[in-house]
Amino acid sequence: MNCAQTRELLSGYIDGELPPDQAMELSEHLTTCAECAGIYEELLATVRTLREGLVKYRAPDLLRARVRSALREEERPVVARPTPRVRRGLRVPWRSLAAAAILVVASSGITFVATRDRPSAESSIGEEVLTSHIRSLMPAHLTDVASNDQHNVKPWFNGRLDFSPSVPRLEDAGFPLLGGRLDYVRGRPVAVVVYGRRQHVINVFTWPTDASGDAARTLTTSHGYNLLHWRSGGVERWVVSDLNAAELRQFGMLLER
Amino acid sequence: MSDSALESFERIVVPLLDDAYTLARHLMRDEHDAQDVVQEAYLRAWRHYGSFHGGDARPWLLAIVRNCGYTWRRGTRVQRESVAYVEDEHGIGDESHHATDAAALAASDRAELRDALDQLPLEHREAIVLREIEGLSYKEIAAVTGTPIGTVMSRLSRARQRLQETLGLGARAKEGGR
Ligand SMILES: [Zn+2]
Repeated sequence: MNCAQTRELLSGYIDGELPPDQAMELSEHLTTCAECAGIYEELLATVRTLREGLVKYRAPDLLRARVRSALREEERPVVARPTPRVRRGLRVPWRSLAAAAILVVASSGITFVATRDRPSAESSIGEEVLTSHIRSLMPAHLTDVASNDQHNVKPWFNGRLDFSPSVPRLEDAGFPLLGGRLDYVRGRPVAVVVYGRRQHVINVFTWPTDASGDAARTLTTSHGYNLLHWRSGGVERWVVSDLNAAELRQFGMLLER
Repeated sequence: MSDSALESFERIVVPLLDDAYTLARHLMRDEHDAQDVVQEAYLRAWRHYGSFHGGDARPWLLAIVRNCGYTWRRGTRVQRESVAYVEDEHGIGDESHHATDAAALAASDRAELRDALDQLPLEHREAIVLREIEGLSYKEIAAVTGTPIGTVMSRLSRARQRLQETLGLGARAKEGGR
């Protein structure tokens, strides 16, 4: 084997994809030709650099949510399924959920240990809401009803809650509806309406409150997430997302209109 | 042990979302196009799940992602190919969840690698993604891309040389070639 042939085949040799006799000839050439051996070493180093340095992209949470709701939409027309198990069809095994939870929590660097100061009632609710938001990003946890039509989402809460959350259509403003789910905050069931913004997921928590008076909008940041809170007309509202503060505020305004 | 088809799809195919998105990102070189392609690919994969006969689902899924990507590009987006790629607002380093594996490499080095990769022609890009990121064999890459194994080998060889030059990794290869 000559130098030109050798250099042509080095890449395949590194991958172990040459036929055995060809690989043998090539390795013999490398022991006798310093120049080809040098080129081989360099190519090997390059391949190592590429393998270590080129990493997978992480699919955005919004894409995960979109794929899941698309699968559900797809499944819906198949009405002939004999048992009513269809609803829980998209559950993934518990084990992988737990793993995903660990991954999510680990990757966000969040530890919900007791804070040094005694947290105010509000900030501890905020933490609970944030925990719930992060949990919702796990596979199959974002929505109980996945739909971009508010006429599917709003009625879904009927009979499940003693109040009805507002589900405005904000798609034209760039906040498509993804669905809704039931969640728990302070041990009571609350409505969560889910919107998207590019690759970001926005969870809107709503529940009626006995607290008197309104509370102005406050935006807090925790562990890289933005939380927007306000209270008006006897309704408590928390909006959580990793979306930037300005766009989340804009979203909050649209929500009330 | 009886799994519904959808449960099986959830267990086997949905966890490959990062793999699908990574290929789509490098094919499309656009975050939003990549998302649309992956969503479309997953719908197609689900509709044709019957054609998956066990084994490693990655080559099977990635072939579908590639086809969707090519179809998409043939549509309205082809003209973009000649336009210089502008990095989007999204931080590249943040998107990686393999940061610990590649801790030795700074985020900027990884960004440089991705940029260099995205400057390659389409056929070279996909070969590198399938080989260096996905670790597929030549036979699997040939199946995913619908090309002969010999072509896979020469594309990979050329793509690696180009990356080596772009990244300034192989001084000797350049000088020695003359
Ligand atoms: Zn030689």
